Amino acid sequence: MRLTARMSRRHLLVVTSALALASLAPAAFAQDSETLVIARSMDVNSLDPARAFCDTCQIYLSATYETLVTLAPDNQSLVPSLAASWDINSETTEFTFHLKPEAVFADGSPVEAKDVVWSFQRLLNLKGSPSFLMDGMTAVEEVDPKTVKVTVAAPDSEFVNKISATYAAIINSDVAIEAGAIADETAATADTSETWFFENSAGSGPFTLAGYTPETELRFARNDAYYGTKSPFAEVVITQVQDAVSQAQALESGAVDIAMQIDPDTAASISSPDVTTEVVPSFNFVYVAFSPGAASAEGKLTPAVREALALAIDYDGMLEFTVGGNGFKQSSPIPNGFPGTAGLPEPSQDVEKAKALLAEAGFPDGFTLDAVYPNDNVYGVDLNLMMQKVQQDFAAVGVTINLQPQTYPVWRDQLTGDGIPVTAVYYAPDYYGSGQYVAYFAMIESTPWAARAGGAAPEAVVNPAEADLYAQALAATGEASDALYNQIGLEMIKDKIIIPLVSPNLVLAYGSDLAGVRYSACCNLPLNEITRK
Amino acid sequence: MLGYLLRRMVAMPLLLLGIASVVFLLSQITKGDPLSALIPERMMSNAEVVATVKAQWGLDRSLPERYLIYMGHLIQGDLGTSFGTRRPVSTDIAERLPATIELVVAAMIFGCTSGIGLGLLAARFKNTVTDSAARIFALIGSSVPVFWSGLILLFIFSVKLGWVSGPGRLDARTDPPPGITGFFTVDSLLAGNVPLFLEALGHLILPAFVLGWSVTGIVTRLIRSSLLEAMNMDYIRTARAKGAPENVVLIHHALRNALIPALTILGFTFAYLITGAVLTETIFSWPGIGSYAVSAARSLDYPAIVGVTLVGAVAFLLANLLTDIAYAFANPRVKLEG
Repeated sequence: MRLTARMSRRHLLVVTSALALASLAPAAFAQDSETLVIARSMDVNSLDPARAFCDTCQIYLSATYETLVTLAPDNQSLVPSLAASWDINSETTEFTFHLKPEAVFADGSPVEAKDVVWSFQRLLNLKGSPSFLMDGMTAVEEVDPKTVKVTVAAPDSEFVNKISATYAAIINSDVAIEAGAIADETAATADTSETWFFENSAGSGPFTLAGYTPETELRFARNDAYYGTKSPFAEVVITQVQDAVSQAQALESGAVDIAMQIDPDTAASISSPDVTTEVVPSFNFVYVAFSPGAASAEGKLTPAVREALALAIDYDGMLEFTVGGNGFKQSSPIPNGFPGTAGLPEPSQDVEKAKALLAEAGFPDGFTLDAVYPNDNVYGVDLNLMMQKVQQDFAAVGVTINLQPQTYPVWRDQLTGDGIPVTAVYYAPDYYGSGQYVAYFAMIESTPWAARAGGAAPEAVVNPAEADLYAQALAATGEASDALYNQIGLEMIKDKIIIPLVSPNLVLAYGSDLAGVRYSACCNLPLNEITRK
Repeated sequence: MLGYLLRRMVAMPLLLLGIASVVFLLSQITKGDPLSALIPERMMSNAEVVATVKAQWGLDRSLPERYLIYMGHLIQGDLGTSFGTRRPVSTDIAERLPATIELVVAAMIFGCTSGIGLGLLAARFKNTVTDSAARIFALIGSSVPVFWSGLILLFIFSVKLGWVSGPGRLDARTDPPPGITGFFTVDSLLAGNVPLFLEALGHLILPAFVLGWSVTGIVTRLIRSSLLEAMNMDYIRTARAKGAPENVVLIHHALRNALIPALTILGFTFAYLITGAVLTETIFSWPGIGSYAVSAARSLDYPAIVGVTLVGAVAFLLANLLTDIAYAFANPRVKLEG
């Protein structure tokens, strides 16, 4: 009896221990091949196409919505998307789009002309960040259920490029209206759908929104009703990983499939054969901007002085210092490879000439300026390091700049307030087209940088030639247009307001079992082109 | 006791309103463009976009107007809408608070148990190598910044050795458990999903260790000094005289009394960990209140800033209150009179 009880107790203990040990054993790590995981630092400001304006938004919108046209993999050609074809009148003021008969939204309803009309009107009237794409549109009308005509006030040979931007996504109007979305003139004040768009998508793309948690994850589910080629992934997750090193670690450990913001230095430290890294040119660039009209510039930044400062910069050294040579110099504030950039003169350093120009301008002993810029790392470029290099280069010609890195909001406050004599900023494209750069950087009355650089007296920096050339470029097409953008580029170089320093290369880092990972000028990372081998 | 509680409960809302007012006003006078989170840099010179956004968010009103509107909503329990996430602040906090609490509770468990254990060792083996080692380990935990120890330990144990999971609350591929408490470890057990529980635990261990280690030091030192003080009291001498073994004397008699001052610290420790999770959450991509606070501060998202501050304030006030109550139970000589 006693013996039996004792044996029983021991046996029970052994069995219990075994069970405990078994349950503690970690399940073997098995990669779910139906889920694609992307690590990036998300910068989502909205998931509503008409309000969104961020790099991650481009990925999201191009996966869940479709535009009428989109960029081909060559990052230059426009190819049909929702529109099977389009016609443009000889004056370049009327654009007629013929929708694909087979295109349907995720809920199965057909994509119709009324959806295009509604989406474009809303993009214009909501006055969100991407509303500038519709500037100049005077009418958008339904010709028949599958044909749309858009009319613009002035010739715009770049209009079709503009609507390849992901923000010009075509929204299922019936679904969106039900959610409180408004497209007419009252949209800016009356539309209440932003919250709905954070929880739902209303597009025709290969994926739908499965869930979004701010700064945590963005989940996509495959759209099984997609009328085109379906993705092999049932689910795609963009997971928030803040820095390049953490992203690289997650990639090497297999926790993620793609890391999107790895800089070349970090990429070089990845040794796993399970990871592929490609370094490709991007169209992003980081620039220094001079604002002669800034209060603390005190009239020092004359054209001659600006030219001297531009000549003082060691552009080759800058590339080495900031991105270890993984990037390109850029001539004008229009990225290399965009229309009209071929043949523009490369920036170069000439210290002696810079000194001579400064002496001639009345500053033989130099002067001091403030340089205020965001304390940030963008596209792999540490702005602090970049500005330290600029400081060194300017010091060589006798000009002292006081470096003042600031938090982003403080920097912005100053940029729109008293202005900043010398600052550093960055730009990434929304679509393939040079007009967006002219509209932003040219010294044309009312462009953002003419206003910032000129301060209280914008007319002092305005370059009349640029406005004329821009209007002509928009009225011309093809090579004629390219030639005009080339001239605008030359004028912008002459302005010496925007000085591009680095066009950093982009690192594509992904699991070696993936194919189709590429960089897109409009959409960042086209998800539907990715497959697992 | 009841009277004391009532007075504290009545004072709390007034304190919270005061805190909210101060933080609101501070966020208004802080330098920086309040539209930073609402309008991207490229659009900040577009007068139409700027005017539209200001009108939508009420930023075109004067400061007194904004203050009164904000406070009016706050009194009704409405924390406003976050500039950064575009969602109600209360929704954001409700979603993130469980993550922080889960982390902090785990950190407390580690920090306090290790602190008490090390304190016991240090006191029991006073002035020996064990004493020095225990105190050094504890001191390192409270001296080394969490962002440094977090990165180092993440690299060693997760990347190199692969013993624990990487950043985040779960693997990115994993769908979270059905939301009941918001604590993934608890919810996965409630769902009967043991592998998911183990995965959640695997993700929790390292950040909890890093965060908890930061309070090990203070707990260790407090327990050690309290125990040493207690060991010199008359009742300890009496227990020894009765022939009780040293370990029994230490644990059964001295420790209970030594815990009384520790309770005060433990209460504040919990509140400290709630607010100290900021850096740990950032390093480990832990989607809690701390990382929310970082983002809010970075982008001058004042509704979110005030919301998080109120949560922190509530944590401190409640922790203080619970500590006082626990204190009364632990030490019968202390009465919380009404």
